[in-house]
Amino acid sequence: MRVTYNWLKQYMDLSDVTPDELAEIMTRSGLEVEGVEKMAQASDLVIGYVKECIAHPDSDHLHVCQVDDGTEVRQIVCGAPNVRAGQKVIVALPGCKLPGGEIKSGVIRGQKSDGMICALFELGVDKKQLTEEQLSGIEILPEDAPVGNKNVLEYLHLDDTIYDVSLTPNRADCLAMWSLAKEVGASLNKKVTLPDYAYETETVPATLKIASETEKCPLFEGKIINHVTIKPSPEWLRVALNSAGIKAINNVVDISNFVMLETGQPLHFYDLAKIPHREITVKTGLDEIYTALDGIEYKIEPNDIMITTGGKAIGIAGIMGGDDSKIDEETKGIIIEAASFNNVSIRNTARRLDLNTEAAVHFQKGIDPLAGHKAVERSVQLLLELADASGIEETVVCGTNDYKQTVINASVKTINGLLGTHFSFEQMFETFARLDFAPEKIDEDTIKTSIPSYRTDVKVWQDLAEEVIRILGYDNIVSTLPMMPTVQGGLSELGRKKRMVQAMMNGHGLSEVITYSLVSQAKLDEGILSCGKAVEIANPLSEERRYYRTSLLPSILETASYNAARSYEEYGLFELANVYNDEDVEELHLSMIMSEKTTSSRWNNVAETNDFYTMKGIVLSLLDKLGYDEKRITFSVSSEKNNLLHPNKSADVCINGKLIGKIGEIHPLCMKKYDLGRDVMGEINLSALFAEKPARIKFTPIAKYPSVSYDLAMVVNEEVTAEQITSTIKKAAGKLLKEVNIFDVYRGANIPSGQKSVAVEIVYQSADKTLSEEDIKPLQQEIITQLRKQRGAVLRDS
Amino acid sequence: MNRDWELLKKEYQEKINASMDLANLEQLRIELLGKKGSINGLMQEMKNLAADQKKEFGMAVNNLKQNVEAQFNKKLEQLKELQLQAQLEKEKIDITLPASQYKYGTLHPLTVVQQEIEDIFVAMGYSVVEGPEVEYDLYNFEKANIPHDHPSRDMQDTLYVDVKRLLRTQTTAIQMRVLEAQGNKLPIKVICPGKVYRRDDDDATHSHQFTQIEGLVVGEGITLADLKGTLELLARSMFGPEREVRLRQSYFPFTEPSQEIDVSCHVCGGKGCPVCKGSGWIEILGSGMVHPNVLEEAGIDSSKYSGFALGVGVERVAMLKYGIDDIRNFYNNNVGFLKNYKRFE
Repeated sequence: MRVTYNWLKQYMDLSDVTPDELAEIMTRSGLEVEGVEKMAQASDLVIGYVKECIAHPDSDHLHVCQVDDGTEVRQIVCGAPNVRAGQKVIVALPGCKLPGGEIKSGVIRGQKSDGMICALFELGVDKKQLTEEQLSGIEILPEDAPVGNKNVLEYLHLDDTIYDVSLTPNRADCLAMWSLAKEVGASLNKKVTLPDYAYETETVPATLKIASETEKCPLFEGKIINHVTIKPSPEWLRVALNSAGIKAINNVVDISNFVMLETGQPLHFYDLAKIPHREITVKTGLDEIYTALDGIEYKIEPNDIMITTGGKAIGIAGIMGGDDSKIDEETKGIIIEAASFNNVSIRNTARRLDLNTEAAVHFQKGIDPLAGHKAVERSVQLLLELADASGIEETVVCGTNDYKQTVINASVKTINGLLGTHFSFEQMFETFARLDFAPEKIDEDTIKTSIPSYRTDVKVWQDLAEEVIRILGYDNIVSTLPMMPTVQGGLSELGRKKRMVQAMMNGHGLSEVITYSLVSQAKLDEGILSCGKAVEIANPLSEERRYYRTSLLPSILETASYNAARSYEEYGLFELANVYNDEDVEELHLSMIMSEKTTSSRWNNVAETNDFYTMKGIVLSLLDKLGYDEKRITFSVSSEKNNLLHPNKSADVCINGKLIGKIGEIHPLCMKKYDLGRDVMGEINLSALFAEKPARIKFTPIAKYPSVSYDLAMVVNEEVTAEQITSTIKKAAGKLLKEVNIFDVYRGANIPSGQKSVAVEIVYQSADKTLSEEDIKPLQQEIITQLRKQRGAVLRDS
Repeated sequence: MNRDWELLKKEYQEKINASMDLANLEQLRIELLGKKGSINGLMQEMKNLAADQKKEFGMAVNNLKQNVEAQFNKKLEQLKELQLQAQLEKEKIDITLPASQYKYGTLHPLTVVQQEIEDIFVAMGYSVVEGPEVEYDLYNFEKANIPHDHPSRDMQDTLYVDVKRLLRTQTTAIQMRVLEAQGNKLPIKVICPGKVYRRDDDDATHSHQFTQIEGLVVGEGITLADLKGTLELLARSMFGPEREVRLRQSYFPFTEPSQEIDVSCHVCGGKGCPVCKGSGWIEILGSGMVHPNVLEEAGIDSSKYSGFALGVGVERVAMLKYGIDDIRNFYNNNVGFLKNYKRFE
C-alpha cells in the first residue's frame, strides 16, 4: 500500500526522523517498506511572475519571457505553448537540479536564457497523477501564488515521500491510516493524535429500511443524509487522495474514499434520489447480468452477495456499486453504507469477476470490527464541513456486532523464556502502553492487556511476545544454541543411498539434471516405466504442466534435445526424482542418457563410443555398489515395444524376476523426434530395487592356491546367446569353476554365414590345492560335451 | 726375461678405451681375458720360467689382469649408460600434446547447495526427513495453522489435485508430518528438504517448481535466542565467517513471533553493492517460534515445550552464492551451465 510521510506527519511529531530513517524503522518492526520514492525532486526553485512574453525572433515556437522572481527580472526562453504574460509560474534557477539534469544559464538561438519555466512532470511528478493539460505544458499557478517563494515543492504539496509498504496478512489493520499511524507511533515511541470526529448537529428520525437475507452480511449500518451539495473538494483533501494514488472526483465521493483510507472501512454512498423507496436489502441467489459503476457488465452468480432495492440490484456488495445509483453532479442527497461482508465470499466474487477494487481488498484482508461506526461518524463530520450536509437521519443498524475485546494476561518471565531475553517488567509494560494495549499491573510478573479492536491478530500471549521483541528490537537478543538432550542426527537410509547413486553416476561421467515434475499429456504418454495413472492438476498453469509425471525418461530426453540443439555433442546426464500415481504411491526413479560419442577423438585416434553395453555396464556397477550382485540381475528382451528404445537393442532389467528398469539404445523414431544422435538411455525404479534385500559386506578368505585358466573357442548358430553358453559352462564345470569370461565374438572369414565364433576363458580355482591338468581335464571334457549337446557348438582348434 | 708391464698395461687400456659399442667391447674381452686371450697366454709363459722368476712374473700378470678387468668393467658401465641414454632419447614425446580425458559428472547446483545445508545441520545432530510432494491440504495448510479462509492462502497460489490433495507449496508440510509422528517423542531436531510448487508463471525470478529446506527444533526451553544463534551458524557456514544476521519482524501462520532473516552482504561485506541493492543486507530466510496452535495440534503441551522453525529457499541461496541471474537456468540444465559446479568447495 502507499503511505506518505506527510500524511503520517499530521498524526505525530516527525521532526527528528528523516523519511529514510522512518522507512528503516518501519521495515525492522514488520511494515516492510519495499520502495521509497520522492513525490518530486528539485532544488533551487522559485515562484515567478511572467511580466512580458514575446515570440522568439528566430523560432516559430519559442517565447522570450521576462520573469520577475521576486528579487530581479530575468530573461528566460520558454518552449511551452501555454506560456503567457501575467502568469504565475515555477522557475528553475541556474544551478537547479531536476531529474532530467542541471539547469544552466545559456543562449538559445541568440537569446539569453537565465533559467527554466517548469512543467510538473519535469520536477519528477508521476505522470499518471497528471492531466493531459499538465503533461502538455508548463504549470500555471493560482493568481495568489506568492512571487519569490522559494519553498515551491511545499507550496505545491509535492515535498513528500511515498512509501510502498508490503503488509503481511496479519497486519491488514494497517490498511487503515489511523491504525498504521498508531503502529508507527509505537515503533518510534511517539504520541499519536488522530482526528476528533465528534460533530454537533440535529439528527432527524431514520426513514431508511435495511434488511439482510444472508449470513454473509452480519452487519449493515446505513444512514440517510437528505441534502448535500456536490462541489470540488478542498485542496487538502485532493492532495491527500492524490498522495494515496486515488484521483479526486468531487467532495462527496472523495469523502467516502478518504474515510476508507483513514478507518479501513469501505464505504459506499448511493444517490438518494435513485433509491426512491428508501429500502435496501442484502441478498444472495441472484443470477443476472449487472452493470457496475465502471460501465462494464458482470455476470452475477447465486453465491455473490448483492445489494438490492425493490428487488433490483444496485451494487456488488463490498466490491463495486452500480452505475444507476452512483453519485453525480446532480446528486442532492445520499445513503451511506458501512457494512461487513464475508471475506471468503468477497474473495471468490472479486477473483471470478477480476475486480479487485480497493474495497474488495479491504474486505478480503479483514477490517476492524468497530470500524463501521467510526467511518459513518467521520463521514458525517466531513460532509457537514465540506458538503453542506443537512437533514441528517439517525443511523440504521441491521444485524449485531458480536465483537468482544481480547484480554490477555502476560507473564514477563514466560515471555522472556520464549524469547531468550531479559526484559524488565517496566520495559514490557511500557511497550504495551505504546501499542495502546492499556496495560495493568496484576502482580510483579503479570501484566493484563486489553487489545484494541483493530488488532485482530493479537490473540494469545505468544502474540504479545512478538509485540515486545519487535518494538524493543531484535538486536536485544544475544545468540545462543539450543541446550537439549543429544539426539542422533544424520541422513535417512534413503538419503544415503541417493547420495551414493549420485556419486556413482558422477563417477561414470554423468551429470545431474533437475527437470520439472509437471508434464503434458503427450509427455506422460511417452513414458516407458510408468508407475500408474497420473495425478492430474485441477488448476494447471498450462497444458504443458497438467500432470505430475509417472516416469522420467521423457523429461531427460527433452534436456538432451535442448543441449544437442546448442551444439553440445557429448553429454552424459542423469536425474533422480520422485514419480507419483493417483493412488498416492511415490516411487524414486533414476533416468540416464548418454550421447553415442563420448571421448573427443584424440590426436592419436583413440575414440570411444557408448552403446547398449555401456548402459548395461553402468547399471550393473550401480546395482553391485548398492548390494545387488550381478547373479541376481537379468537382462531380457522386452515383450512390450515402445517408441523410445530400439526394439532389438534394449532390455528389461529384472532383479529376482521383478522388473526394475528398462535400458537400451535410442529408437530411430525417437532420434528423429528429439533431433538426437544414437544416444543410449535407461530408467531404473530405485524404489522397487530397494525393496529387495541387498547383500552385506562379507569377508572371504584370500585364496591360498592359484587359479588356472583355459580358453575355449567354438562356433555356434547366431541364435545361441552368450547367456546360454555361459550358463551351460557353469552347470557343467561344477564347484571348481571360478568365472567364465567371453572375450571374443567373431563373424566373417572361415565362419559359415548364420554362425559366429565365440571364445571363452574358463577360470578354475580350489581352496584346497593347486589344480593340476588331471583335475581340469574331465571338467573341460564335460563342458565341451554339454556345449555340443545343448548348444550345438563345434569346437574350434585352439 | 724382462717385460715392460707398464707399456703392456697402457696398450690394453688404449684398446679398451677405443671400443665404441658393447659388441666391440665383448670381442675385446675375449681377445684379452678369454681362455685363449692374451693374458692367459702370458700365464702359459710362466711355466717356462725359473722358480725364482715365477713369483715376480705371476704377480705382474695378476696385476695386469686385475687392471684390465677394472678398466673393462668401467668401460662396460660407460657403454651401457650411453646405450640407455640413446634409447631414452629415442623415446622422447611431445608433452604439450593434449591430455587423455577422464570424464566425471557433476552434481546439480541445487543438489550441491542442498547437501551443503544438510551437512551443516547433520553435524549439529539434526535428522534429514523427506515427505511427499503430492500432499494433503491437511499437512500443507490446516495443521500449519492455515485454515481454509486464512488470508495467507492468498500469498501462495496453490496447484490443487482435488479437494483434499495438492502439490505441496512449502516443506512445512513435512514438519507437520514430523510433529504428528514424533509429538510424543521429544526433542525433535530435523531438517526437511524438498521440491515445492506454486501456481506462478516462470520468469527470471519466479519458478512454479523450486526447492526449500526447513528446519524444526522442539524441546524444553527452546528460545528465540537459540534460533538466532542457529541462523548465525548457518549464515556463516554458507557465506563466510564474517557474516552478521539481522532479524526483521514478519509473519508466517505457523510461527509466532516470525522473522525474515537478512544476512550481511557476502559480496560487499555490508557496504552496499548491486547484489544487496545498496542496503548491505540480503534476505535469505524466514523463521520463527513454532505457533502454540501448531504444537497443541500435535499433542505437545505448549506451556512446557517450545520450538523454532526456519525455512530457506535453495534456489535463492544458490543464485546469491554463485551469482546466477535467472532461476530458469536451474531447470534448463544447459550442459555448459552445469559444468560450472564441478569443483569441490
